[in-house]
Amino acid sequence: MNTPLISLQNIYKIYGSGVTEVRALSDVSLTIERGEYCSIMGPSGSGKSTAMNVIGCLDSPTSGKYFLDGENVANLEERELAHIRNRKIGFVFQQFHLLSQLTALENVSLPMVYAGTPPAERQKLAAEALDRVGLGERMNNKPTQLSGGQQQRVAIARAIVNRPLLLLADEPTGALDSQTTQDVMAIFEALNQAGITVVMVTHEAEVARLSHRVIWFRDGEVLNDHLAPEEIGQVTAVG
Amino acid sequence: MDLTESLKMAFKTLTVNKLRSGLTMLGIIIGNASVIAMVGIGEGAQKYITEQLQTLGPNVMFIIPGSRETRELGGLEVPRNLVVADAEAIASQVPSVVGVAPEYSTQSLVIYGNRNANVSVIGTNEDFPRVRSFEVAQGRFIRELDLNSHSQVAVLGSSLAERLFDQNLPLGRRVRVKGVSFEVVGVLKEKGSNLGLNYDDAVIVPITTLASRLVGRRRSPYGIEVTYISVSAKDQESMKTAEFQITNLLRLRHKVRNGDDFFINSQDTLLTIANTITGALTLMLAAIASISLLVGGIGIMNIMLVSVRERTQEIGLRKAIGASQQDILIQFMIEAVILSAAGGVIGTLVGVSGILLISALFPFEAGVSIMAIALAVSVSGGIGLFFGVVPARQAAKLDPIVALRSA
Ligand SMILES: Nc1ncnc2c1ncn2[C@@H]1O[C@H](COP(=O)(O)OP(=O)(O)OP(=O)(O)O)[C@@H](O)[C@H]1O
Ligand SMILES: [Mg+2]
Repeated sequence: MNTPLISLQNIYKIYGSGVTEVRALSDVSLTIERGEYCSIMGPSGSGKSTAMNVIGCLDSPTSGKYFLDGENVANLEERELAHIRNRKIGFVFQQFHLLSQLTALENVSLPMVYAGTPPAERQKLAAEALDRVGLGERMNNKPTQLSGGQQQRVAIARAIVNRPLLLLADEPTGALDSQTTQDVMAIFEALNQAGITVVMVTHEAEVARLSHRVIWFRDGEVLNDHLAPEEIGQVTAVG
Repeated sequence: MDLTESLKMAFKTLTVNKLRSGLTMLGIIIGNASVIAMVGIGEGAQKYITEQLQTLGPNVMFIIPGSRETRELGGLEVPRNLVVADAEAIASQVPSVVGVAPEYSTQSLVIYGNRNANVSVIGTNEDFPRVRSFEVAQGRFIRELDLNSHSQVAVLGSSLAERLFDQNLPLGRRVRVKGVSFEVVGVLKEKGSNLGLNYDDAVIVPITTLASRLVGRRRSPYGIEVTYISVSAKDQESMKTAEFQITNLLRLRHKVRNGDDFFINSQDTLLTIANTITGALTLMLAAIASISLLVGGIGIMNIMLVSVRERTQEIGLRKAIGASQQDILIQFMIEAVILSAAGGVIGTLVGVSGILLISALFPFEAGVSIMAIALAVSVSGGIGLFFGVVPARQAAKLDPIVALRSA
């Protein structure tokens, strides 16, 4: 497998038309190799989330080619995209998005339900995933009985339970304090060590510095796609 | 994702919001209960009427005078009523007939001592008990001799006898009707109300005596007029023949030229008419009840639409972690179908209890119709499917990005 995990080629995402036209992504070309740990940064409205959604197969670009794991996903059907999201991608969101009526264990099991995993195995794998994020003790708590950091860890467990190739996190620490931010970043680091490719959007330089590569967006374009973490300060000044 | 998972998931969601699920089901419960109860009542009424008609007597036909319009009024034709002579002619000239009982009934006060009762006074002949399946409990019935000699004798219905005489023996005593005194010669066995006629609360006298002493109205030139004539045929097979022969005979006697001035109703034709009416009634009740089922279905759609809106984020999240549009569609459809099917089952139980209650309170037994239950449950399941489609499609089509952003 020598193909890059992610290869965006001349991706455009355009909302509206005429005077109201918004180019959320404008001629974005980007390659991310297997096993990388990248941050996406940039000013608000620069297209970071849009790019994440395209990469995560939640959204399809207006034009351009997107190869994920060597496969052109730009013209796949809804059903096949759902399958890819289920098997190859794990999502972590700023607002956690846990289902409040389900326990931590049930929340983590959910992707396996859609994957058709048998119930007994789901139980085991979900428990393992929760162990991996350090929540083995809290499996039967409902989200409301967990702190923000704990909820985000449940969400991470849910994202990795189907052993995805890619973990996408859009401002995963945006709603967390500095201590829990560090916990979450430690988990990301460990997951990346274990071989999962991690791409996250963040506004926080300290968080981005923990990744190995920073991609800088501005006005829907990639301003710099190989910034070393130490260079962040300079660009921020420019951006 | 397989169906058992979808079912489990739907049950989980519905039990989390018990109050809402219950209220949503209420419409379907009421709809189902009313369909089942209504159909049950309709069928009960039908059964009741059939039973009543069957107690009229075996192989009985009723000859009823036609409406005035069907009789020729102009020219030399004289309007003709049914008369006792018609009954006599039938008895002597129609071989397939074994009994003919003309009846004339009027309403009057019957007095015994210081007691009285306002009841039907019925004039008839000696064939009456045989034709109409009545039995005499005490004494005797009217005889041919009584008719010929216009005797002042009376046979009492069972409850009238009780009202006038209590425990005393009525036989041999005299009652007064319109100032005429009658000797009680017999008491009928109790038979109960029958199509609104209650012979238990009546006094029966010879029709000749009734005509000459009580009614006092102008006799038709053709003889004593009657309200109707009951005829009993030899057996079930000869009913048609008898009807045909009687029709011909009466047409001849009445010199009918245009339309018949009488009707012949057999127990069969009465049953057919009654069944048509009660059948239509049952259908109408079911149709009215079905409307509430429909309203229940719309209620489900309404709540499911609200639910889709409320659970936008959940739907977005499910899509993000790998649910396809079909998965979401099935999830919401199943919720709607569970609501309506469960409502259907509960409604059925309520409806059946209602029927049992009605049967306990009213004289007729409302039937629990398996057909109606099967129909109601499957229809409400279908309603769930039908009205679940719109909200479920809306959920399935949600753009996950928009859905996730709607915090
Ligand atoms: N559905 C939409 N319709 C129209 N315009 C949209 C839509 N979604 C995003 N946009 C526009 O696209 C641009 C990029 O949005 P995006 O959410 O990707 O920005 P972002 O970099 O994630 O910003 P932030 O840091 O604030 O999250 C913005 O100008 C936004 O207004
Ligand atoms: Mg964003």
